[in-house]
Amino acid sequence: MSEEKKNHSKEDFEPKIVGFLCNWCSYAGADLAGTSRIQYPPNVRIIRVMCSGSVDSMYILRALLEGADGVFVGGCHPGDCHYIDGNYKARRRMVLLENILGTLGLEKERVWLRWISASEGQKFADTMKEMTEKIRKLGPNPIAKHWNL
Amino acid sequence: MEEKQMTQKALKIKENDVVGSINDFLRQLLSSGKIQALLVPQSTPSKKVVYPVLIADPKKLHSDIIAPVLPVATATVVSKLTKVQPPSKPIGVVMRACQIRALVELVKLNQASLSNIIIIGVDCPGTFPINVYADFPEKKAPTHFLLETLLKKTKDADQYLRSACHVCKDPIPTNADIVLGFYGIDLDKELIVEAHSEIGRELIKDIPLEEITDDKAREKAIKDQREMKDKQRAAFLKDKEGMKGIEKIAEFFDKCVNCHNCRQACPICYCKECLFDSAVFDAEAYKFIRRAENKGLFKLPSDALLFQLGRMNHMILSCVECGLCEQACPNMIPLMEVFIPAAENAQKEFAYHPGKDKAEKIPMIVYREDEFLEVGEK
Repeated sequence: MSEEKKNHSKEDFEPKIVGFLCNWCSYAGADLAGTSRIQYPPNVRIIRVMCSGSVDSMYILRALLEGADGVFVGGCHPGDCHYIDGNYKARRRMVLLENILGTLGLEKERVWLRWISASEGQKFADTMKEMTEKIRKLGPNPIAKHWNL
Repeated sequence: MEEKQMTQKALKIKENDVVGSINDFLRQLLSSGKIQALLVPQSTPSKKVVYPVLIADPKKLHSDIIAPVLPVATATVVSKLTKVQPPSKPIGVVMRACQIRALVELVKLNQASLSNIIIIGVDCPGTFPINVYADFPEKKAPTHFLLETLLKKTKDADQYLRSACHVCKDPIPTNADIVLGFYGIDLDKELIVEAHSEIGRELIKDIPLEEITDDKAREKAIKDQREMKDKQRAAFLKDKEGMKGIEKIAEFFDKCVNCHNCRQACPICYCKECLFDSAVFDAEAYKFIRRAENKGLFKLPSDALLFQLGRMNHMILSCVECGLCEQACPNMIPLMEVFIPAAENAQKEFAYHPGKDKAEKIPMIVYREDEFLEVGEK
């Protein structure tokens, strides 16, 4: 397949993941994982947003086109949104984005949405482990070698 | 707009002059005093193009509603007319099916009003690219060329159609108060005038029209027309299935110079300041250099594909597939090859039909608690 795949054996490929975490739940969940000293892979670069509903699909696309191997969006559990319904809107937006990525044959498996509450430090760490391993298996983002976008 | 109580009449074609007879009808409509102005497609003096023209004086009305060209989005024009303050007395607007669909979407997006707007829909045999229309290679003018194909029921016009028109979702107007129909009638003798609403009936009441001789013919002709387009559309979608993967997508958009003309021409893209023109994309030099270091090199102007995919995410659920984006592209990127499959799949996902029903909410502003439960959980 791609040159990258040959150059990187699975062991030495470290996925770069951009994570958009909602201020009220997932970001606090990530914080709890840290303060509780739960270990999780350092592959995720966290960007705090006020709500998963404020993540425009453009942010996710930008990360992917710039070569991020995965994009994670974390929001409050359905019904728990600090702004009442931001996460329901995020969910619809994710369905649309995945649909479009599917039509264009771009890997939608690289985009994850998960609900993680402020008390779920363990779930955040587990999710990061799971995502890092899945993306590692998927290999580097083939978009990364395209500069003519 | 309640289809049940549709009134169907026939407009007699005088002296084999279809365009003239339609103009007589429209002049009578305007002279009746029931509407204060008419927005109609009318040729410029050069005859090179046909623009929506707002006509107040019936004597100045020389429209060409058959002219197979769509230089600008009529829906955008109606938005401009009604957004700040809708007219106090009725205005008639003559529109093609795709533009009525776009107008309905703009109303849902709070960018247009239908208050005192009488929609006069026209059966659409399709349109030619603006440059083909302006320098038409046949001996006849495009309107007469098209009329002849309609009369003789030939497919001679197909070779000139814009790709969007070739695979049109529905060329027959819906949501119109009055429909002027070419299908299911002998166009050398008469033209169909349908009133689909109370106000539509009121408007045509005093205009001399005949009874329809064969009312089943129209129904069948519409069905045939829709089936033919559905078939062509299905074949197009199948043909474009292979347009997948970053290699192909990057190559497809290689000629995109980030001019944003497609967005300018799109009836759905209404934002006064587009995100992609905003300061979001202004940055310090070191950030550009960082991006160059990221991949080793960096193309400028940047973010052309991001613009295309971002715009698609923002408007695709309301996309009426008018193809004006493609017509506006200075580098002739066949945008419909990507936008029609994307619209088809995305609209199917949300079971949404842009332009069909004014009460149907745009999917991105509503939600249900018990939907897409697997998303965010798996």
